[in-house]
Amino acid sequence: MPRGHKSKLRAREKRRQAHCENQDLGATQATVAEGESPSSACHLFGDRPQNLPAAETASIPEALQGAPSTSNTTVPVSCTSSTQGASSQDEKSLYFSSVAEAWKKDPLNRKVVLLVNFLLHKYQNKEPITKGDMIKFVITKDKCHFNEILKRAAEHMELAFGVDLKEVDPIRHSYALFSKLDLTYDETTSDEENIPKTGLLMVALSVIFMNGNRAPEEAIWEVLNVMGVYPDTEHFLYGDPRKVITKDLVQLKYLECQQVPNSDPPRYEFLWGPRAHAETSKMKVLKFLANMYDTVPTAFPSCYEEALRDEEERAQARAAARAHSAAMARPRSSTTSSSFSHAK
Amino acid sequence: MQGSARRTGVMTDVHRRFLQLLMTHGVLEERDVKRMQKHCYKVHDCNATVDKLEDFINNINSVLESLYIEIKRGVTEDDGRPIYALVNLATTSVSKMATDFAENELDLFRKALELIIDSESGFASSTNILNLVDQLKGKKLKKKEAEQVLQKFVQNKWLIEKEGEFTLHGRAILEMEQYIRETYPDAVKICNICHSLLIQGQSCETCGIRMHLPCVAKYFRLNAEPRCPHCNDYWPHEIPEVFDPEKEREPGISKSNRKSLRSRRH
Repeated sequence: MPRGHKSKLRAREKRRQAHCENQDLGATQATVAEGESPSSACHLFGDRPQNLPAAETASIPEALQGAPSTSNTTVPVSCTSSTQGASSQDEKSLYFSSVAEAWKKDPLNRKVVLLVNFLLHKYQNKEPITKGDMIKFVITKDKCHFNEILKRAAEHMELAFGVDLKEVDPIRHSYALFSKLDLTYDETTSDEENIPKTGLLMVALSVIFMNGNRAPEEAIWEVLNVMGVYPDTEHFLYGDPRKVITKDLVQLKYLECQQVPNSDPPRYEFLWGPRAHAETSKMKVLKFLANMYDTVPTAFPSCYEEALRDEEERAQARAAARAHSAAMARPRSSTTSSSFSHAK
Repeated sequence: MQGSARRTGVMTDVHRRFLQLLMTHGVLEERDVKRMQKHCYKVHDCNATVDKLEDFINNINSVLESLYIEIKRGVTEDDGRPIYALVNLATTSVSKMATDFAENELDLFRKALELIIDSESGFASSTNILNLVDQLKGKKLKKKEAEQVLQKFVQNKWLIEKEGEFTLHGRAILEMEQYIRETYPDAVKICNICHSLLIQGQSCETCGIRMHLPCVAKYFRLNAEPRCPHCNDYWPHEIPEVFDPEKEREPGISKSNRKSLRSRRH
């Protein structure tokens, strides 16, 4: 339960009210703004938007799109830095609150907020986004302002969340969200769902790595048996370990299964899959392995060397990618970087 | 706290990474949140002192305020573990669910929600929920299919299942409290101590007031003779322990997995 939540809300409301009264803006504005949320909450639950036929959206004349570009904010006020020092604090607060009030009054901003929430949701589910969906679920009758709303929402996504919205298919108008920060596999694994597989996966990856980057299934089981995991026995955590390794992890592209060339009867071996290469590294896997045996990565000298080389290659690739994207982003970044500062 | 709450916050990549990770996980326990915060600092800004978690989150929330989004802190109803989720205040999460689930699935959730709220224990049995399958809006849903939809809700952390019965996940309570209180004003139960929405809890057999288990734990801590705060009658239930983050509690399976891999690890 959010303990103290109500008192926090009340305190916030009081502060906002007191502040607005001081600045002669009238407490009613604040309460109206606050009041918006609950009513929209109830309304939206019951409001399943009508199905808009796709043809309608295409017929909106281009000229109408982006028309009421309000000069108020392209950037959420609250992202602006407050580095100027306490002396001008009140002035700044006055400025912020008046801009914030104006921002709240702009009807498009409600749609921007809803669109940001929609995009976040899609981002969490790693789903692609189509213009049609955005209009159907969020924009609805404001579809002639689609571009403006989208632009503002994209800015929020970038500034607040570090997520880029890119159009991946200009013909079908489909978009995708990309993190500007390179999140790693370890970070993004949701413990409860993926950890069981992760445990097996890391073991499999380490065995494969140690074995010269390819290993037969038996080699993997040898190690797993030591941990009490057997191919044909139900495991309380992993369920059906054989299925996880030979089917699930292969399907998810963490492992690859290849037939040993010229083997008769055909034998199979496992290699790292493309997703394993993308989401983890030889060094990480080596560290995992060392940890498991209560030792250090350097205890496996040839593997350690190989892992070091791999790290170097990755660092070079990352630097090249960053240089490239910095070059691409330069024209845009000059407008947005002025609106907030990084605390260093 | 007053000063910093009004002063608008500054977002850096540390905060953005934190937000992205929190979003990816959906809901996280406080211990994991703290670890994640330290991790984000490490990645971007090794030398900076790690802000106190509360300040760190308030900072982010002040930036997200204009988007009607906030990182909310709650407490699990069964054992008082603090949890955090990124919550959307402009719409309810049920309408957030609207883009994920079909009309009949949403209606199934609504029906389950109603049964849960109306129940004495805060749990609705699978049977009772599935018996309402014929009353659902939208395309006809078979019981077998409805069972799978219920599992989808569990996987997406809207419901928790315990021995064939369903209750609301802490995340759902965090996200939907406002909606639930507005939609079911007569049926909702409120905790006598914290005044928040109550789904599971203990109740006084004399006067009927209710308290969350973690609220009971805190209120009656070190009290040899627990009495109802309202009618002063003897409190008949077992008093649970206050959640202690220091004790190495293993939530769910994430920690026990490490154990099984451990063999020789510390």
